[in-house]
Amino acid sequence: MLVELGTLQKEIPAIVGMDVPKLCDCLAMLGFPVDGVEINNGITVLDVDVTANRGDALSHRGLARDLAVVLDSPLADIAVSPSTEGAATIIVSLEADACPAYATAILTLDCSKPNQTPDEIATFLSSMGSSAKGLAPVDASNELLHRYGQPTHAFDADKLKGNVCVRWAIAGETLLALDGIQRTLTTKDMVIADESGPIALAGVIGGDSTKVTESTKRVFLESAFFDPATVRATAHRHSIHTDASYRFGRGTDIAFVKTARDLLVDRLISWADANLISSWTVGQCNANRTTTSLTQNKIDRVAGSSIPPEEAVKILTGLGCQLESSNGSFNVCPPSWRHDLTIEEDFIEEILRMRGYYNIKAEMPILNVAPEPLPDSYLQKQRLSKRLTHLGFFQTITMGFIRPESDSRFIDNTKETCLISNPLGVEYSAMRRSLLPSIWEVAKTNQRYGAKDVRLFEIAPIFQNDSAGPKETFYLGIVRAGTIGGEDPLTPGRPVQTADLIAIARDIGYGGAVNIIELGQGAFGLEIPLAELPEKRETIIPQYIRFSRHPVVTRDLSLFVPVSLCYEKLEKTIKDSLENAPIIEIRCIDVFKDHKLIESGKQTMLIRLKFQAFDKTLTSEEVEGWVSRAIEATKMQGAFLRS
Amino acid sequence: MNLSLLPSEIEKAATEFGLLLEKCSNLDAAMRLKGQYIGREDSFVAQMMGLLRVAPKEQKRELGATINELKSIWENALRDRQSLLVEERRRNDASALAWDNTLPPPMPLKGALHPLTSLIDRLVEIFRPLGYHVEEGPEAETEENNFDGLNIPADHPARGAGDTFYFAGHQELLLRTHTSPVQVRTLKKLAPNIGKKGGIRFLAPGRVYRKDELDPTHSPMFHQLEGMLVGRDIGMHHLKGTLAYAMKSLFGSEADIRFRPSYFPFVEPGCEVDVRCPLCFGKGCRVCKNSGWVEILGAGLVHPKVFVYAGIDPDIWSGFAFGMGVERIAMMVSQTPDLRLFFENDQRFLASMGGLG
Repeated sequence: MLVELGTLQKEIPAIVGMDVPKLCDCLAMLGFPVDGVEINNGITVLDVDVTANRGDALSHRGLARDLAVVLDSPLADIAVSPSTEGAATIIVSLEADACPAYATAILTLDCSKPNQTPDEIATFLSSMGSSAKGLAPVDASNELLHRYGQPTHAFDADKLKGNVCVRWAIAGETLLALDGIQRTLTTKDMVIADESGPIALAGVIGGDSTKVTESTKRVFLESAFFDPATVRATAHRHSIHTDASYRFGRGTDIAFVKTARDLLVDRLISWADANLISSWTVGQCNANRTTTSLTQNKIDRVAGSSIPPEEAVKILTGLGCQLESSNGSFNVCPPSWRHDLTIEEDFIEEILRMRGYYNIKAEMPILNVAPEPLPDSYLQKQRLSKRLTHLGFFQTITMGFIRPESDSRFIDNTKETCLISNPLGVEYSAMRRSLLPSIWEVAKTNQRYGAKDVRLFEIAPIFQNDSAGPKETFYLGIVRAGTIGGEDPLTPGRPVQTADLIAIARDIGYGGAVNIIELGQGAFGLEIPLAELPEKRETIIPQYIRFSRHPVVTRDLSLFVPVSLCYEKLEKTIKDSLENAPIIEIRCIDVFKDHKLIESGKQTMLIRLKFQAFDKTLTSEEVEGWVSRAIEATKMQGAFLRS
Repeated sequence: MNLSLLPSEIEKAATEFGLLLEKCSNLDAAMRLKGQYIGREDSFVAQMMGLLRVAPKEQKRELGATINELKSIWENALRDRQSLLVEERRRNDASALAWDNTLPPPMPLKGALHPLTSLIDRLVEIFRPLGYHVEEGPEAETEENNFDGLNIPADHPARGAGDTFYFAGHQELLLRTHTSPVQVRTLKKLAPNIGKKGGIRFLAPGRVYRKDELDPTHSPMFHQLEGMLVGRDIGMHHLKGTLAYAMKSLFGSEADIRFRPSYFPFVEPGCEVDVRCPLCFGKGCRVCKNSGWVEILGAGLVHPKVFVYAGIDPDIWSGFAFGMGVERIAMMVSQTPDLRLFFENDQRFLASMGGLG
């Protein structure tokens, strides 16, 4: 909200002479941070942030009210000559309960006279981001809105047809609004109507047919209270957001409607030589406020220190509350302009706010509750991500939504996509069923920027639809692409292979079949649900595994092996043949194939066997015996020892 | 030694020997010179021995002595030169074998946690000693948990399709717009036992979604970290004490905080919390827009309606909650100029931000 310093000073003279940064700080500490200050031609305009609960502060007067309390200094009087309630020249009836009070007046004036609006007001309106129209009823209404927060409206009285009523619209009724757009109304829209139909959307926008123009000779004024929720709904439904709907939607001051009307009348008389025919009010202008009981104990508990009762009373009274005190508690009734004060805590906040939040002391709550362990699922994610970074991988974070079907090559067809009904764009319209499309995109971007060895992982949920709605499952996705090594004289470079990802899967404790997906040339991806990876508890107890201190005996066997025989099977054959032998490791340490010395259909594997006993040093005879057994066994699989 | 007894070419060779030997830069050249001077055949020594055989008797003695002397000078000089060259070759061979320690060594691979993860981990570490554990909730949430349970009115604009993503086919389900629904879930879950336990303390970090286009300061997906404490007689001073400790732990012991009144439907009183600008220490800079303070989180005492919704009696229990934008803090402490860098995941960015948090 824009605030013109000179006008604010008129409402609260105590700030005259206060420097602008100090005023901004003062406003910020009241809960109204200043987003910007602009000074143009000696006029200072503050852009003040007002929270949604403070409709009462959406005017110069509103902010001044809070400043007056915190500075302990009086507000300026409102210069108004209250008019006498007279006879209704037009019958106004309130048929919708969302409009409990409607103050009006009829005046004659001559709008054809140019430049009715005083220069000072025209300048003020331009600081508020609007511009003077030169029509007194329009400009005066606009000025009152910014200054006092009460939106008002002037109709051309000669364009009204018969009586006026405030009522719910009839479905299908239309209104050509001041913005030139014709809107079709619903039964939830409240309108001001004459006998021809709606002439304004209550609290939101006036109608074109009754607007004030240069030819207007008589005006019919409106200063009313409209139910905030009704105004918000209508503004939202028809996408009309006006200064008026913004203020009515956050709650205006029902007790101020007559004053606002009188202020408008005064201005029309003074600026445009208007003559008041009659002013009158329909409905009740009393605020319906409930009283809340406020206890000293609760004030002190929330504040964290003992607040002297007289200080609390002074603050709340200063804010316009009515108080009755009785035995350590108060009955508080908020002022008509404060819609946000309904529970005890609301009033306590006011006391703290006016004392200054900087006066709240800092104290640690006593730890009297046994802390709970961190959840296994959280620790698992932490363990996995730390381990993967130790293995040289970078953790990525990518968007949860993707272009529909961009994940289809990575998943089985049983997973149904969850779609967003109101996405930002098609590229963000489906919740991903696989992490790989996103990580692969990141890998390609890195390669485009020159990365030779791309090592990425992400831990995030994937989504699939089932009858109950979206189902989230946490997955680990890994992508490795490019070249390993080749960056120093001792480590030769080689392309990334599927085996590199299998190694990672095994390292992090995945025992299942590893499904490596070839993403592109020299690029591989792997995805594992976290449920299939080990969890780590916070209360982990390591388990001791006994190891031998006798020497290890190592034998390397170079075997011709048919290419059709997979290593896993060969290893199992050897292992089975050495059932009672103290074998501690069987491992293929080298493979040759496609060599002129090796006949086609064969390969050689260099198999390393390690023997070690717990109770003694092994003799070479024992070991030779086991090795021959292993060689014999491999013959059954078509393998034989290379001579 | 009488060189005049020798033919002129041998005499010349004898005077040149020293120079020629000096020029031998390797063993091969020294061996060639040796062959030329003292070899068994065709050498100067062999020639001189031939001369000696046919020399007149009276000259034989003197000539013989000269030849022997020359031969021994040559032999000694050649031996010395050879051993020098052998030594030099050994030296060269050794330095050829030695590893140059100034060459780039094979470095262990280096990875890094995403800076947002490290920051969340760091915050969990900071709050752990205060008795906070971690609660997690789904990203696909109900309107009840995301809005109703948090006292957000039914006509609040944040509920609109312009601000919140809804699921097609399940219009009551949405992508959570903050981590606060984890408050609702956790309070509901723990409500039956709260009397026995004596209170609740937890953090809820996670991903949240809002309908904002991706730009240098906005993203449709970002991270929040929510914290909540429920106990007896909890007031604003407890919130301030806790956050002051947390911000000192995060930014250093000189970090200072201040509260400003603000409004969130699920707390009352509500506040925004500023931290003394960690880059200029309050002197004023671009990051704090010369105010010396930067807004870092929103907080307040739990609204009684939030307790009632979850089945907790607000006359017995009170508490506070706070919520912070993880990206916002990460950008501030690292001076990252563009939010999109966090989601681009350039390995160079991730490596350089490895220490964040």
